[in-house]
Amino acid sequence: MSLLISLRSEALKTKRTAAFYFTLIGAAIVPLIYLLNVFTDGLSDTKKDPLNAILRLNGEMNGFAFFPLFVVLVCTLLPQIEHRNNTWKQVLTAPRSKATVFVAKLLNVQLLLLLFLVANHVFIFLAIVIAHFADPSVGLLHQPLNGTVVLTRAANTYITISALCAAQFWMGLRFRNFIVPTAIGLAFWLTGTLMVLEYHSRAAEYFPYSFQLFGIMPNLRPQLVQVVWTSLAYGAVFLLLGYWDFSRRRMHQ
Amino acid sequence: MNNEYAIKTTGLSYRYAKGADTLSGVNLEVERGSIYGFLGPNGSGKTTTLSLLLGLLTNQQGDIEIFGQRLHTNRISILKRVGSLIESPSLYGHLTARENLEVYRRDYGASKARIDEVLETVGLAGTGQKVAKRFSLGMKQRLAIALALLSNPELLILDEPSNGLDPAGIIELRELIKRLNKTYGMTILISSHLLGEVEKMVSHVGIIFNGKLLFQGPLSSLHSFQQKGSRLFIKTSDNEIACRLLQERRPEVVNDSISVAFKAMSEVAAINKTLTAHNLDVYLLQPKESDLEQLFIDLTSTQS
Repeated sequence: MSLLISLRSEALKTKRTAAFYFTLIGAAIVPLIYLLNVFTDGLSDTKKDPLNAILRLNGEMNGFAFFPLFVVLVCTLLPQIEHRNNTWKQVLTAPRSKATVFVAKLLNVQLLLLLFLVANHVFIFLAIVIAHFADPSVGLLHQPLNGTVVLTRAANTYITISALCAAQFWMGLRFRNFIVPTAIGLAFWLTGTLMVLEYHSRAAEYFPYSFQLFGIMPNLRPQLVQVVWTSLAYGAVFLLLGYWDFSRRRMHQ
Repeated sequence: MNNEYAIKTTGLSYRYAKGADTLSGVNLEVERGSIYGFLGPNGSGKTTTLSLLLGLLTNQQGDIEIFGQRLHTNRISILKRVGSLIESPSLYGHLTARENLEVYRRDYGASKARIDEVLETVGLAGTGQKVAKRFSLGMKQRLAIALALLSNPELLILDEPSNGLDPAGIIELRELIKRLNKTYGMTILISSHLLGEVEKMVSHVGIIFNGKLLFQGPLSSLHSFQQKGSRLFIKTSDNEIACRLLQERRPEVVNDSISVAFKAMSEVAAINKTLTAHNLDVYLLQPKESDLEQLFIDLTSTQS
């Protein structure tokens, strides 16, 4: 009950903040790029299984770049609400345990992550409907939809990001300065991407900021299940360390 | 168990990492229903003490009891009965006054009507959709007090609440504190570095300096202490003879005058008669009552 109350408080705090609008804007980027492409180049490139191809491209672009970058930024923005407003002391003198505060903040981040994924799929389907009416000859709305693949791809994107999310969440709570966790997150994301795409490094299986690529790169699919478990295990460890750090630090100073 | 006290600390000591003792053996006793002025210069340990009382800092040495319960083992149930404002107001600038209170309302089990009540109490009922970052400092301070009052607390802890307030705001705050104490029997612990600011509203005083509690008791005790410190400065045509005549009063020579302790103005007249009766010309007869401000400075400066 107290966790629900705290989660509700956390959700209220995000009202009118950049984090909420940022979620919706971030989720709309790929659908907007797709629409821009449709209106400039038409639908000619997606003649074979066009509907599932559009959804695959949306999933890949999000999984590769927009979702991890969104996670880096939102994990920093949410704790910034307390740092920027100097409200940690009020939060910590409210009759809640530190564990409740920590978990409620984490759940609030997860809600925004899920909102991003849901909103992204809603926007891409809207974009598909608009594209259909822009060029009915392709018959986008009459194409078969592989819903299981769409859902599995979204679930993989969400789960493989767990380790990255936990690490960024910890950093977001720890650093008062917005720049530090953001810079570390962006640098590690670039490192993880280069490890996979440029160096084909086997160490990528153990580097949390590479994990999201295992769900979208066909040559990495065989290791996906192992990476999913690794991501969850890393996530649990980072969260435990993050809570230990949070519970002993003087957050209000 | 000490149920006559809202707050009782025993041997409270605290040290920040690698630093000297910030608090040393503080035994704070705040009676239920009192307005306790916790005084000390900046850096004397007031905020550290209050942070310990609210569980913001982990107690290192000594014991803290609030409402007769140990804070260490009953933190959450105690905090439900305590309202606080530590240093600057803790508000979400992007939320309205009502939304700021709504963030914490359910934690304290307060009704929606309670939000209207506390906003009315602090005079912010008409702020509507204006967000807190657009408030003046005085309005922010009042909203922070509304937040502290949300739970209808039995104990209110206010750390330098008049910081940044204009004189009218300070008077308003003082009236509000007195009203809360009188109407609801709320125990109020208010810290300040200015004695003059709180002496018009407090019933008890604690003076802390360099982490040590130098004085604690009812305001009347402080006044008695003050009267003991009143002195009469005298200059005569022959100070040596004057010293001999006033020997019983243990005179002190201060530059070209002498000073003696006195308790009532009638004693001043008696001293004058004694001096003139021995053919001494009296050039100066200046009673100097030590005011509380001076006493506060004396108490804290003699320890430094």
